[in-house]
Amino acid sequence: MLFALALALAAPAGAAPRSSLVIGLSQFPITLNPLFDSMLAKSYVLGFVQRPLTAYDPAWTLVCLLCETVPTLENGLARIETGADGRPGMALSLTLRAEARWGDGTPVSSEDVLFAWEVGRHPRSGVAAGELFHRITKIEIADSRHFTLHLDRVSFDYARLNELRPLPAHLERARFEPAPEAYRARTAYDREPAAPGLYNGPYRVASVEPGSHIRLIRNEQWSGPPPQFDQILLRVIENGAALEANLLAGDIDMIAGELGLSLPQALALEQRAGARFTVLTQPGLAYEHLELNLSNPILADPQVRRALLVGLDRAAITQALFANRQPVAASLVPPADPAFDPTLRPQPYDPALAARLLDQAGWPRGADGFRANAAGQPLTLDLVTTSGDHVRALLAQVIQAQWRALGIRLRLKTEPPRVLFGETVSHRHFPGVALFSWFSSPESVPRSTLHSTMIPQPSNGWSGQNYAGYTNPTTDALLDQLEAEPDSTRRRPLWARLQRTYAEELPALPLFFRANAFILPKEMTGLRPTGHQDPSSLWVEQWRW
Amino acid sequence: MNAFLMGALLLALLGLATLLGPLWLPDPAAIALTDRLAPPSAAHWLGTDELGRDLAARLAQGGQISLLVAALTASLAAAIGTGIGLLAGFWGGALDAVLMRLTDAVMALPLLPLLIVLAAIDPARDSPLAAIGWLALIIALTSWTGIARLVRAATLSARSRDHVRAAQALGMGAARLLWRHVLPEVASPMVVATTLSVGQVILVESALSFLGLGVRPPLASWGAMLTGAMELIWTAPALAVWPGGAIAVTVLAATLLGEGLRRRLAVPS
Amino acid sequence: MTRLLLRRLAQSLLVLLAMSLVIQALMGLMPGDPIDLMIAGDPRLTPDDAARLKDLYGLNRSWGERWLRWLAQAVQGDLGYSRLYGLPVITALTPALGHTLLLMGTALTLSWLVALPLGLLAARFPGGWLDGAAATLALTSVSLPVFWSGLMLSALFAVTLGWLPAGGLGPPDATAADRLRHLILPAATLALAGVGPILRHLRAALLTEAQRPYLRTARAKGCGPWRVLLVHQARNALLPVVTLIGLELGGMLSGALVTETVFAWPGMGRLIYESVMGNDFNLALSGLMLATLTTLAGSILADLLQAGLDPRGRR
Repeated sequence: MLFALALALAAPAGAAPRSSLVIGLSQFPITLNPLFDSMLAKSYVLGFVQRPLTAYDPAWTLVCLLCETVPTLENGLARIETGADGRPGMALSLTLRAEARWGDGTPVSSEDVLFAWEVGRHPRSGVAAGELFHRITKIEIADSRHFTLHLDRVSFDYARLNELRPLPAHLERARFEPAPEAYRARTAYDREPAAPGLYNGPYRVASVEPGSHIRLIRNEQWSGPPPQFDQILLRVIENGAALEANLLAGDIDMIAGELGLSLPQALALEQRAGARFTVLTQPGLAYEHLELNLSNPILADPQVRRALLVGLDRAAITQALFANRQPVAASLVPPADPAFDPTLRPQPYDPALAARLLDQAGWPRGADGFRANAAGQPLTLDLVTTSGDHVRALLAQVIQAQWRALGIRLRLKTEPPRVLFGETVSHRHFPGVALFSWFSSPESVPRSTLHSTMIPQPSNGWSGQNYAGYTNPTTDALLDQLEAEPDSTRRRPLWARLQRTYAEELPALPLFFRANAFILPKEMTGLRPTGHQDPSSLWVEQWRW
Repeated sequence: MNAFLMGALLLALLGLATLLGPLWLPDPAAIALTDRLAPPSAAHWLGTDELGRDLAARLAQGGQISLLVAALTASLAAAIGTGIGLLAGFWGGALDAVLMRLTDAVMALPLLPLLIVLAAIDPARDSPLAAIGWLALIIALTSWTGIARLVRAATLSARSRDHVRAAQALGMGAARLLWRHVLPEVASPMVVATTLSVGQVILVESALSFLGLGVRPPLASWGAMLTGAMELIWTAPALAVWPGGAIAVTVLAATLLGEGLRRRLAVPS
Repeated sequence: MTRLLLRRLAQSLLVLLAMSLVIQALMGLMPGDPIDLMIAGDPRLTPDDAARLKDLYGLNRSWGERWLRWLAQAVQGDLGYSRLYGLPVITALTPALGHTLLLMGTALTLSWLVALPLGLLAARFPGGWLDGAAATLALTSVSLPVFWSGLMLSALFAVTLGWLPAGGLGPPDATAADRLRHLILPAATLALAGVGPILRHLRAALLTEAQRPYLRTARAKGCGPWRVLLVHQARNALLPVVTLIGLELGGMLSGALVTETVFAWPGMGRLIYESVMGNDFNLALSGLMLATLTTLAGSILADLLQAGLDPRGRR
């Protein structure tokens, strides 16, 4: 037996291409139906088995996956028209790829797109983010592959149809039409997830064990470049330490960056096991920042805000905690975004400047080292962040320490995400500072977070995400212009102005753009982290091991 | 060395270490980003944690919180348990039956799942001190049953004593009876039961904090220190070994003390 | 005995009903509407969408109304729909229950396998080194935090030595042997915590029993020490121990919850935790009910065993 063991150890590792891959994830998707619940876990799993019409590729360019050409004004497939109500709208002509087929052989047709649209805009279907579905006023079907979408407005992101995912009408319509409000509970994606006809990607779902794993097998009907693996097993291990231990023990082959280990944990792993694994990090969209409640008189003062920012040694934090893999943010647009202005640099750490600004703003240091104004009111702020996120807890404590050196007392508090987002920030109950991240999409205009009409209030049912309460008519005008301007060259100066204004006015203090860590076996190639909400699994056919 | 002495000694040492240790140790809040996860050295006897803070100092500070919560909870549990036990044992009859059924019901409940729900309500979000108070209250609400049983048994036996029956016959009011005659009899079992419950209380608090529902950042108890240590267990196991060991030693000491007291005061189990 | 059983069942039903009411009320107190949470996480959600969804999921009803609805459906066998898993609650709960029962059953068996012989031997040679070892083991077992011993065992056997897997159930096509390998560490962790109470009760009971006059009579009549121990002493001492263990089941469930978290074992404890944190009311309520049912079943079993095994109890 020892001999056999020695022989096994001596055999060259990975000589032949692998036929199966085990991926570790830290979260299980709630549902597999593409329209419900915009969860990252679901997008990741669906990336293997289903393709949307359009998506952003790793280079942050919008590409067609199920369609043939991205409709643009330049190539004539998109045109501006006058809607039925007299307002300007747009018409997009799309052609589905001829070879796109569902796993049971049925071709993907315009009917599937139409059906998805009907489900998405139905008031009782339970589909959450229905905005795109409401923007589309009509779908004209020319034939089974050609159709035209009519949008109710002229906006810059007219071609971004990522959320309009076709559903297999031949399987799902019967489950939807009798009782739309029960569709969520009856959809075949959750009731019979192994049905081949639900999937049009390189893989299809073979079996689902809720909370534990999902097994994918090769989809024979896939007409694109064949993927290498015959089967992929997605194992969900919610515990970060157990996930890492499973990787080291060989029970899983790789850890998905979209939902895997925290960055410090991944970096520690790289130090210990860097010979066996590659750790790929890609700074992404998630904008980690300090949201400021501008109704707080202390924070209403722009000098104080600037002092708070330059009093933070963000470079040292990212160096120590993130090994420089998470770039310091200058403004709210990430570096990989086409709209990013590279000439705008983050304000450097300058504690002397911070002290001067605070003195000028009327907050001199007292005898105990802490600052107070003339009325005796101390410079004390409250910071709230999500519990259960160890890295954020560390970050909050570092910020507390660095501001204490400036003479500012910071009280820390954590709350579970459902409380923080469900009540505290959404009702603007946070008295000072909130530490969390925004996650949107490439070139997304920050209207809901910066426009003055988007401040959540009782009068508007607490809608909107301008938690800071930021009001600036110039910024409002910029946002409106950006939303409506479809020409990319004219948008560039608008974006530059927005970023500059943001960096000067500081409705929030920019920190970092979070990076996901992909942990792969050394020999694996072809996997490209995207850094945005369209996951790396959409290009699984390029992975080689 | 008998149990009582050993337990008392250990607890005293722990108490002293957590209270006085900070006098010699560096500031537990002193963050040093360049000195993270350092091994033990002359400057940092147990090394540093992931923000460069002195681990020994953090342990001492965490210990203060853990012991404070434990003491508060045990006191609350003692109050509730003694109250119920006295009422049940002294008045007997229907009240006794109802209270004993209540005790049985609470003993039969799944402790941690229920505490998770209670802790998730989080009514005292704004004040860390009030949050500790709530934590102590909910743990106490599930830890009083052992105390109640012992106190009830002691009350029953006290009630049948001659001097109590004489006082009753002489027309002494219930409150005075309880205070002057019954309570002294009940004091020993109460102390023993409370001491024995301290270990359980510490374990429950640390489990809740470990799950992220007990003591929350920026405050840290030993259990809370273990939440963060879990991720780094392969890289820096010391971060997990020390707080966990501290919990174990404290629970051990409390249990020994309780058992020792029980034997000394001849309290039946 | 049937009268006892019926009475205990009736009491348990009352407790369950009360628990469901209390939990439904508590969850109504929990901050954080799940729809508000969705809004915050998704900038494309409009207020119309939010109102639509709240109405759809019945979140705009009072907790009392929700409880009554739940009760009406539950008696018909419909436990509702889990938001977190996208499945009917029963479908989500059943495998989890199975996994937890497997874990607890294995741990219980392991702890008895260790505690029983050790306790008997300690009673056979009272005051000897074995007695001391048993006492130490018992003390250590009740002092160690379960999650810590789990972490330490995992660090030693899974990472450093690499002998056993570090968590999870194992790959879906695992053999029975492989499943067993994944079960060892979590069961051992739970068993380590379970040994203590058993040993303590056992030692105390055996000690009490040892002083009974009938044993002295037996020994005087020439019964060998082993026979005295096993045939007489143990049989009578085991009765209170077994009944006490029935009550410890609740404690074991709590221990199982923590162990499942450390080892990513997909059991009921973890399910309850996830559902409470995720505001999945249906799943949390049913999970908690099931947990209460399990512990109540344990205490009923204890009572029944006591009534059944105690010859004095048989009238």
